[in-house]
Amino acid sequence: MQWARDWYGTFTGELKRIFTDSGVLIIFLLAGLGYPLLYGIVYHNGTLDDMPVAVVDNSGSSASREFTRALDATRELSVVRSCADMAEARQCMQKRQVHGIVMIPADFDSRLARMEQAAVSTYADMSSFLYYKNMTMGVNNVMLGKMSEIQAGRLAVAGHAGEEIRMMCSPLRYTSEIPYNRNFSYTIFFLSAVLLIVVQQTMFYGVSMLSGTMREEGRCLSGMPGERTGRGISRTVLGRGAAYWVLYMGIGIYIASIVPAIAGLPQNTGFGNIMVLLLFYVTACTFFSLAFSTIVRHRETVFVLFLFMSPVCLFLTGFAWPASNFPGFWRLFSYIFPSTFAVRAFIDMNTAGADIAMAGRHMTALGIQIIVYYLLSCLSAYDENLSGRAFWRALCHRNPRLNSRHYETTDFDAGSDISRVHRVSPEERNPTGTYRQVEERYGRLPGQEGTGA
Amino acid sequence: MEFICNVKAAMRRELRILRNRPVYLLASIGVMAFCIVFFYTLLKEGLPQDLPIGVVDNDNSSLSRNIVRQIDATQLGGTVMFGSYRQAREAMQTGRISSFCVIPHGLYSDVLSGRQPELVFYVNSLYMVGGALAYKDLLTMGNMVSGGIKLELLRGKGMNDAAIMGQIQPILVDAHQIGNPAVSYNVYLTNMLIPGILEMIVILVTVYALGSELKYGTSRHMLEKAGGSMSAAMAGKLLPYTVLFTAIGIVCELFLYHWAGFPLKGSIWNMFIAIFLLVIACEALGFFIVGLLPVLRLSLSIAALFSVLALSLTGFTFPVEALPACIRGLAAVFPLRHYYLIYVQESIFGSGFAGWYPQMIYLLLFLALPPLAYGRLRRAYINLNFPRN
Repeated sequence: MQWARDWYGTFTGELKRIFTDSGVLIIFLLAGLGYPLLYGIVYHNGTLDDMPVAVVDNSGSSASREFTRALDATRELSVVRSCADMAEARQCMQKRQVHGIVMIPADFDSRLARMEQAAVSTYADMSSFLYYKNMTMGVNNVMLGKMSEIQAGRLAVAGHAGEEIRMMCSPLRYTSEIPYNRNFSYTIFFLSAVLLIVVQQTMFYGVSMLSGTMREEGRCLSGMPGERTGRGISRTVLGRGAAYWVLYMGIGIYIASIVPAIAGLPQNTGFGNIMVLLLFYVTACTFFSLAFSTIVRHRETVFVLFLFMSPVCLFLTGFAWPASNFPGFWRLFSYIFPSTFAVRAFIDMNTAGADIAMAGRHMTALGIQIIVYYLLSCLSAYDENLSGRAFWRALCHRNPRLNSRHYETTDFDAGSDISRVHRVSPEERNPTGTYRQVEERYGRLPGQEGTGA
Repeated sequence: MEFICNVKAAMRRELRILRNRPVYLLASIGVMAFCIVFFYTLLKEGLPQDLPIGVVDNDNSSLSRNIVRQIDATQLGGTVMFGSYRQAREAMQTGRISSFCVIPHGLYSDVLSGRQPELVFYVNSLYMVGGALAYKDLLTMGNMVSGGIKLELLRGKGMNDAAIMGQIQPILVDAHQIGNPAVSYNVYLTNMLIPGILEMIVILVTVYALGSELKYGTSRHMLEKAGGSMSAAMAGKLLPYTVLFTAIGIVCELFLYHWAGFPLKGSIWNMFIAIFLLVIACEALGFFIVGLLPVLRLSLSIAALFSVLALSLTGFTFPVEALPACIRGLAAVFPLRHYYLIYVQESIFGSGFAGWYPQMIYLLLFLALPPLAYGRLRRAYINLNFPRN
């Protein structure tokens, strides 16, 4: 009974702290709710269509003109420039008017007529891989189409006919099925990965900000009343965790099932499966954030120190660089983060339509993380409360710089406190505690009249 | 003269803070070192080698085994055998393989009797690099196998080899990749991710350094040190950071183009200029943000939200011209976008100053931001009239 009351007290207290802290609300609501939508808008188009290319047609024959027209007709490419020579084309590319050059050599036509191999040179702008991909796919498709035409023509000339030509042109056919993301759309690829990253990162930043605040205000991390020191670990950890958990189950449902619907992402799994994934993921994220927020000493430092982890976590999901090719150390490192498993499970289930059993190994991993991080967050709460508190007090007593509480009492006119923050040597310290030059120029602070010299 | 003395005094104070609070050096040097090591070693292969490609061999003939060997022999692929289509599909759905190939029953006999059997490739393009590369690999392989069979057929018809090559592959594509001849993802991504992280750090640390004076109420002490002059205080405060970040930036450029040996067509000195411009533009942005919102926690949250967007809107992953029209203009407010355009001109095309001077002007335009917020920040420093927590 007492347990439940304490739990409820911590839970509501934490919720109150969340909703009275504008910095945390910005992160939870603006970033958590706004960013997924923003990414949906930014990557609305998904593919790069009709990329401008220049053609240098040295052949000037009907065959080369036909090749150029076929290039222009592809979805990927659009021939916007016809350049006289390579120098001109290179200049167009350098000015970024075109992102690729196709050079048709002078002997293109005559070689084809002689039934030899003709070559076409392509030059792709590598400043973005989408340019390269469009260039390669567009040119290859045109080449393959032209090739079968030419092959059939040549066989007909050689005296073959009908069925025989078809057979000799392609004795073995091949087709490709690209079931989940037919056009290699960047939207589906990127959004599928980034959505769940937002859950973990915003939660970690928010929790760390609140933990940092509590530390700065001199309260201990777990917010445990003094008389229950060391005995109410589980209720405080679970109480604090529940506040974030409730909030983030809501945000999670929004991110994992409403945003994909708005952004037009494929949703190939039932809502139930998404809920199961969120249950595991949000719980893992909560304990992950609680455990790691212990290393944040000051409220604001979390961004300064850990914002770079967002792109790092994104890469660790293996959405871009394949996980099978991670170096061993980084593979192990990626297991620290709940996002690694959750994003993979989300891609597999939501986009590729795997069922929940097939995502089982990711769920197991998340389950292990939940246990480990729960124990870690209990341990850190225990450490701060019991042994930690005594240790901390002793340390702070000796070294005032380590005591975060002193910032509260630091005021501009209390020279001694500033000396503690910035370690001002005694001779630099203002003996009267006022700032003469500043006051001469700008006047005194309101409320400070009558003090000082 | 007095001004210089004031700047020096403010600078000494800032250096003392830098020394006493490890967060500054950890956030700049520590984070940059981690990111360089992380991205460089993660993408060290350049192009993924031996991607697992599934094969469902329903034929089990000498021809089908030959096909499997050919997939295995390519640099990109390594085969994983599956007993049935279903197993292979499940492996693909769970991301273990990014593509697989189904060899039909009776492939060999169908080829011999001219019934044109069909290989089917399945590609999971949700893991983009792996999917696209495996797709390309399978297409090449299909083309090769088909060509090999054609070669045998045409030889049987009595054609000579030169004529056969003209028949099998009438058009060759000779592909060149400008600026990244090895098609390395390391060159492509690390080249922009490192400056991207630097941009993030510069904005955040600037906001933090300027804002913590407000939070800890030490701004009057800072002004006093600078002889009461705001401009001297700001110059003294920002100078150490400018030097620090520029040094970090130069080390990054040296790392990319000298030690890692990424291709650089132009001059590394111009890249130094570019990274210096990026640093001061980001500092100006940080100053602007903290001036608009002189509350540390709010300005840091805003700075974080802003700077993390830069990586998406710069255009090196997804080109800006393919973004929706309403977003396209937004790319210009990120200094990283202009750095990217300089990088493209200098590193890929080697066009020198003439190619990128407009971007230099845009980056310098960011310096017009601090004066807009200067008065507001000065008042905040003097009056300390904003909430601190």
